[in-house]
Amino acid sequence: MRGHRDLSTVTVLALVCALAAPLLPIEALSLLFALPLAFFLPGYALTAAAFARRPIERPQLLLLSLGLSLCVLALGALLLNYVPGGIGPVSWTLLLALVVLNGCRVAALRRPKARPAAPLTRPRLRPTAAAAALLIAALLCATAALALTFTTTSAKHANGYSALWLLPPTPKDRAEGGARIGVNSEEQKSVNYRLQVRVADFRGEFARNFRLEPGETRVLKLGASKAASARPVAVTALLFRRNKDGNVYRRVSGWLAEPKPSR
Amino acid sequence: MSELAIQSQAGTGMNRSRVGLGHFPAIALSCGVGLLLCAVANGLARSTEGDPMLLYWLGVLLIAAPIFYRLTSSEATPTERLTLVCLLGLSLYGVKVLRDAPLFTFSDELVHAFNANQIGDHHHLFEANSILKATPYYPGLEGATSSLMAITGLSSYTAGMIVVGVARLTLIGALYLLFLRVGGSARVAGLAAAIYTCNFNFLFWGGQYSYESLALPLLILIMMALAEREAVRREALRAWAIPVIVAIAAVLVTHHLTSYATVGILLALSLAYWYVKRSWASPNPWWFAVFAAALAAAWLLIVASSTIGYLSPVLSGAVKAIFNTLSGDAPPRQLFQKGSSAVGTTPFAARAVAVLAIVALLAGLPFGLREVWLRHRKQPFALVFMVAAIAFFATLALRLAPAAWETGNRAGEFLFVGLAFVLSYAGLAMLRRWPSRPRLTRGLLAAVISLALIGDAISGWPWDAQLARPLKVSAKGNTVVSPPLAMAEWADHDIANGRFAAPTADANLLLVPGNKSVIAGPYPDVEDILEDPKLASWQLPLLRRHKLRYVVSDLRPAASDGIRGYYFSTGGSDEGRLPRNVTAKFAQVPGAARVYSNGPITVFDLKGHP
Repeated sequence: MRGHRDLSTVTVLALVCALAAPLLPIEALSLLFALPLAFFLPGYALTAAAFARRPIERPQLLLLSLGLSLCVLALGALLLNYVPGGIGPVSWTLLLALVVLNGCRVAALRRPKARPAAPLTRPRLRPTAAAAALLIAALLCATAALALTFTTTSAKHANGYSALWLLPPTPKDRAEGGARIGVNSEEQKSVNYRLQVRVADFRGEFARNFRLEPGETRVLKLGASKAASARPVAVTALLFRRNKDGNVYRRVSGWLAEPKPSR
Repeated sequence: MSELAIQSQAGTGMNRSRVGLGHFPAIALSCGVGLLLCAVANGLARSTEGDPMLLYWLGVLLIAAPIFYRLTSSEATPTERLTLVCLLGLSLYGVKVLRDAPLFTFSDELVHAFNANQIGDHHHLFEANSILKATPYYPGLEGATSSLMAITGLSSYTAGMIVVGVARLTLIGALYLLFLRVGGSARVAGLAAAIYTCNFNFLFWGGQYSYESLALPLLILIMMALAEREAVRREALRAWAIPVIVAIAAVLVTHHLTSYATVGILLALSLAYWYVKRSWASPNPWWFAVFAAALAAAWLLIVASSTIGYLSPVLSGAVKAIFNTLSGDAPPRQLFQKGSSAVGTTPFAARAVAVLAIVALLAGLPFGLREVWLRHRKQPFALVFMVAAIAFFATLALRLAPAAWETGNRAGEFLFVGLAFVLSYAGLAMLRRWPSRPRLTRGLLAAVISLALIGDAISGWPWDAQLARPLKVSAKGNTVVSPPLAMAEWADHDIANGRFAAPTADANLLLVPGNKSVIAGPYPDVEDILEDPKLASWQLPLLRRHKLRYVVSDLRPAASDGIRGYYFSTGGSDEGRLPRNVTAKFAQVPGAARVYSNGPITVFDLKGHP
């Protein structure tokens, strides 16, 4: 690729991005390298290869670089689907780097030796101080808009609520059997609850009182029934909100799971 | 020599000229402020504070109107025009992003995000999607998203947002260069690309994370490459064939309808070439049309045969609805009417703006057609654009037939390319007609285009869904989430296996973030099962036949609404509820366990009995 500055630049850039993007542990930094590798360089290399003998104008070149990169991504997944290991970080990085390297190589081989000017030359941008200030202000506004959008705000008119659920034990506790009863507060303020549980075995009925802050969860573990029984043991859980009327607020029902021996 | 002829000789005029910023910095600031206003309006809407709709439209106007005004100028350089239309396209995409962050909330977005997550989890394509079975067989978008997800570890939301953003940039850039090559004038190209943003779907539907959002830009790229190919010497024809072939293949694996539209457009162009030049020789693109048709047919029959079952009810329903409406057997669809209690009304002023926008487009049509006919009737692309412009208004009639509405709406996005080109000439004719007061005329033209943008955005997306709603809310320093989202997060966290039957909105959230296999809608008919107050004898066997272990019963009317069903209810009332028996009937199923309840939403485990 000697003598073709644009192709050398693109090749080096692709290699740097292919090495850095998957290795960097911070997503934002990784994205900085992944963006050109995915959305520009493959398209540029293909365009350079296709138009090696007859260079095209810069806007068409830039657009084809973007558009053909999207095409490489859309078609690349199909190709990777049939390679060993399938679609993953290594296969994607390799594929994109290979597309760029091969595209640039073909372009270098096909280009006439006395080519007038490499298409990837820098445009002569000379913004005035005022123009630069305006552009920076625009960027700040757009950043503020995004920051505002990704900030979770309060909504005093949104109707808060609580959830009650009853499930078998987690896979970790399955050997012990029983059940889990959970209360999630999605309320706007702190709420006092009374959880009343009815188990159709020796335990009968019992209750727990507790208070949850918004977004908090309380999980109660019920052990398996100790008495051997041919019938499954039924469980009903009723949730009351204290300081409210005595009506049942939530109700769930199910059965205690039998202890399962771990394999 | 005319302006058009000069530009044709000098190519696009952008290659060697010094890149001038022109008014770009000031207009960019206006866009930034506009985006900020839209963010504030959405923030207020999420906070359930007041009615920020005017603020929102002011933001949209601040983004678009200065660009429209500058593009009407004869002074702007081609480079400035290109950067301005790119800024417009990206900023309007920003309006959509500001509405939805930090989650996808359009019905199709969650379906495609699920597919992208499946690729990430299984490292292969074509994993089943229980809601839209055809989507895994058009994996272009999700495949592209998987590259960013795999390399950077980003979520499907962030990666998908970036992919669609790049696609939007490609779309608007390709439109500009297409119109520049066909019209031979940067002023026409800038105006036409800007007018394209006035199509019904540009602001929201077209910006969603869905396969058409990638396929349509690639189709425009194909058209741009064909237009460039037409202008080059014979030796260069082959070079331009490469991007066309690659993009056709990419469209084909990305979206069914766009791949058929590609075939249709290539056929139309081939016929137009033959009509104008009486020759099938290059650059007549007939063999691209044959190539695209053969590839689309092969893909449909070999890989994506389920698409036939997916599309045929939609298309046959549309045809049937047209006949029924025409014959008077069915009443026409009422525009801007509330479909259910979950749907808000569109105010009279908004309806008036929407109607005025259509009137403005229609009023410009004859003038644009006349101008294009006089100048470009020997150009195949221009002929196709004129036919598309007329056909666009024919598709408006489809909006009056209930089941044909969606077909007309989708077709409009493609046909608007032609209409935008034609209307740009109507705009220029207007500027020429009143040359004595250029600023006033330009201002008037920019105002009309702004009206079209806002009016068509109102027509294209429900009024009550233009702004964000509370999905995640801050309460006492913690975050609480809406009932359907909480249910989906619970399912993701606590339910390991088992398929779900759920109303549309709950089902979409059970896909992402729930990561569950879920069925919704009428095929199979879980929709009726979930809305009937009584458990009919066929219902339980159907659920068992489809191995639907968990049933999500939701008393909110909005639960079946893929646009409005994801959010908190507001204002103390719970906005009407379905009868309690809709939920209570599942408690009668022998062995069923009531495993989750958050008020409106109850989940039953039909195999709860150990």
